[in-house]
Amino acid sequence: MPELPELNPVIHGKLRLALLSLLSGVEEAEFTWLRAKTGSTDGNLGAQLMKLEEAGYVSVEKKFVQRKPQTLYRMTEAGRTAFTEYVQALKQLLGNAVVSE
Amino acid sequence: MADNNEELNLKDRLSLIESMIAEGRRTTGSWGWTFVFWGVAYYVAIAWTALYHWPWAWLVTMAGAWAVCWIIIRQKQKNMPERRPGTTIGRAIFSIWIAMGVSMGLLLPSLGFSGRFNQNIFVAVVAAMLGVANGASGMIIRWKAQIAAAFVWWVATVAACFGTESQSTVVFLIAIFLCQIVFGGYAMSCEARERRLEAHHA
Repeated sequence: MPELPELNPVIHGKLRLALLSLLSGVEEAEFTWLRAKTGSTDGNLGAQLMKLEEAGYVSVEKKFVQRKPQTLYRMTEAGRTAFTEYVQALKQLLGNAVVSE
Repeated sequence: MADNNEELNLKDRLSLIESMIAEGRRTTGSWGWTFVFWGVAYYVAIAWTALYHWPWAWLVTMAGAWAVCWIIIRQKQKNMPERRPGTTIGRAIFSIWIAMGVSMGLLLPSLGFSGRFNQNIFVAVVAAMLGVANGASGMIIRWKAQIAAAFVWWVATVAACFGTESQSTVVFLIAIFLCQIVFGGYAMSCEARERRLEAHHA
């Protein structure tokens, strides 16, 4: 019997999953844009992004544009790999669930 | 039951991923107006040249149009609540149009100053370049309307090579109307529909 894949716990959190999905489609995204798209609070969003940053899945760049602070997030190569693996594992688990019905 | 719940949960996750990726790639930017704007700018330059026979009419109109276009884009960006993130596709399309603009900006005045300019070559070159930019953009985003606009420009390119000077001018005026004014208006209506849908989902 083939072994069932494990889902990466860092990505498994719903907001973190949404964030990585959003970042996978863009080159970089501002904090405010991520907040608008996910509808989360500043505190929660910041905490989840920090977890992704600690795992090496996103990189952060802080700069000033026209004297206004801007925080940009990018998905790293490690993040892209982990995200792809997560989606594959998810599809495999779903496939098994359908077969076992 | 637990298995069913888990399955539902997994399916939910997969659809969350799909919807978020689509959300990130959604281009709600409004660029349709630029087609109409440049179409009008071409008409102004053509009319100015035809009425006053001033050799600098095209150069002055195009330079003025660039400046106004840039100011409008900056103003629109300032009024946005949050900066829209860039996508690789967006950058690719932007690069095509900028490169086309630079090529035209260098080639056409050079043809004029070197004395090798004539109406047929002018229409053929402009139409070919606009055909490349529209065709490449349309193929990247798989938008048939824009590929059709490119096709019209390519037809205009060939027609300008074989027709008389006045025929090439008529072809150019028709192509501008179809590919800038009509296509631009259609693009604007599509963008307005997208924005309505987004507001509905929000």
